Amino acid sequence: MTNHVKGRRSLLWLTVPFLLFVAAIPLANRADPVILGLPFLFFWALLAVILSPLAIWLAARKDPYYLRDEAEGTDVD
Amino acid sequence: MSTDAAIAITIFAVAMLGTLGLGIAAMRGRDADREQWAVGGRSFGVVLTWVLLAGECYTSFSYLGAAGWAYGYGAPILYLVGYMATGYATVYLFAPMVWSYAKRHQLISVSDILAHRFQSKRFGIFIAAVATLALLPYIQLQIQGMGLVVNAISYGEISLKTAFVIGFVVSAGFVLVSGLRGSAWVSVFKDALVILTIVFLAIYLPLKLFGSHANLFERIRTERPDWLTLPGNESPGLGVLWFMSTCILNGVAFTVFPSFVAGYLGSKSPNTIRRNAIFLPMYSLLLLVPVMLGMAAMFVVPNLESNDLALLSMVTSELPAWVVGIVGVAGALSAIVPMAVFMLCIGTLWGGQSVNRARMVVVASGLAALAGALLFPDALVRLSVLSYEGIAQLVPALVGGLLWRRMTVQGAVAGLLVGEAIVVPLALSGHDPLLGINAGLLGLVANVIVNVAVSRARPDDQGAPGRFQRESEGSTMPSSSHS
Repeated sequence: MTNHVKGRRSLLWLTVPFLLFVAAIPLANRADPVILGLPFLFFWALLAVILSPLAIWLAARKDPYYLRDEAEGTDVD
Repeated sequence: MSTDAAIAITIFAVAMLGTLGLGIAAMRGRDADREQWAVGGRSFGVVLTWVLLAGECYTSFSYLGAAGWAYGYGAPILYLVGYMATGYATVYLFAPMVWSYAKRHQLISVSDILAHRFQSKRFGIFIAAVATLALLPYIQLQIQGMGLVVNAISYGEISLKTAFVIGFVVSAGFVLVSGLRGSAWVSVFKDALVILTIVFLAIYLPLKLFGSHANLFERIRTERPDWLTLPGNESPGLGVLWFMSTCILNGVAFTVFPSFVAGYLGSKSPNTIRRNAIFLPMYSLLLLVPVMLGMAAMFVVPNLESNDLALLSMVTSELPAWVVGIVGVAGALSAIVPMAVFMLCIGTLWGGQSVNRARMVVVASGLAALAGALLFPDALVRLSVLSYEGIAQLVPALVGGLLWRRMTVQGAVAGLLVGEAIVVPLALSGHDPLLGINAGLLGLVANVIVNVAVSRARPDDQGAPGRFQRESEGSTMPSSSHS
């Protein structure tokens, strides 16, 4: 696992979907305020659905494996 | 038969014949050998992989079920878009590695991969059995989803049972001939229609029924406030902790879900998978539409006998017949495509080197699910509650096994058995979530601990194939020392 992510700091962006849909849920679980006509939790879900692909793209943009279109090796042959 | 029914059924019938033709034509000019049939020759670019994976995540039952949960419970259904976002982040991290291992060793299924990794045919068969048990209920769910759609859009003229059989015949028809490639081509047609109809419904229905989208939510706020936050309206313990643990569990399970693996093994390069991990979560925007419409249905068609009918009842009661027909085609294709991939996947689990044996398994699994839908509509579906949580228990062996050479087959089996021994009884006895937490996550934690403990306690001399080869190569040199 350490080899798997070594030298790929941009992969930290992959935690964003987990922050939005896991860590933040206790705070986001409310009906107010209403934003863009949406009760808060539904607005939050919409926002998170839009931000998640963006975060995964940010992870890819600086990922050396992505830039070389290469697969990570395994610990077994 | 009413004119409305005649119009909708004609549109539906033409589309089903077209689907069968398109799916069969996909294989024209190619030899249907094992690699072509099972994984499309590992040649799919971003678009074909996209529609294939989308076809699987966004099925008839996700649309009907999303609307149904929104109608009955409200907010808890948002977990569906949540775990897809966490799931694609995990897919980005691990799926290219699994893909490349499978490609290097010409492996076409989850059981293939694990049998090769642990050099154990018996383990492969065990995994094939677990995966089949997890997938069969999904095929049945799709057949039943198809039934609900076709029965509703034909205004009751086509019976549920007839619709079950149509679904089986069409999907088995093209998957037998064209395999994964056939499913991918039909998915293109399906996606175009689904996107079109969902966008149309999202805009048109709230405007027509409530004047504006904000009005719809305002009405829910004043009349049905329980629906707007977790744990929702009278839900079975679907609170904040459940939401969080399910987004983690289902997210990590995504990468190993056998039919999802079947979809991405067809990719031609690691970046095909990674680009899909970037773009597919966007598709979840479409799933928010049935969520909204399911809640709208509370006011339009209250007191339905089944929550799953929420979306369809509103469509047939509010829209003209030709639109109903098109929505029906989109809904039916959303059942047929995943059904085809699930059957194909079970075929590849048991087919070994023989395509014809795999084809026979495809027919057998489809017939089993069809029989389940016709004879015991509830029994098998109850198992589907288990599917995700049960399949998640494969994560340590499949992903961990590729990352950690010292994992032994005993460790993998022990972890898996302990994980399932926690999940199955809790889920079947109605104790899931336990103390608010998704039972699958509890099982997974125990699974990992047992796996690591057993692998460390009894190191396997033979170990993974790579290590074994290196050691035997090493032994030809007198100076090398064994570890």
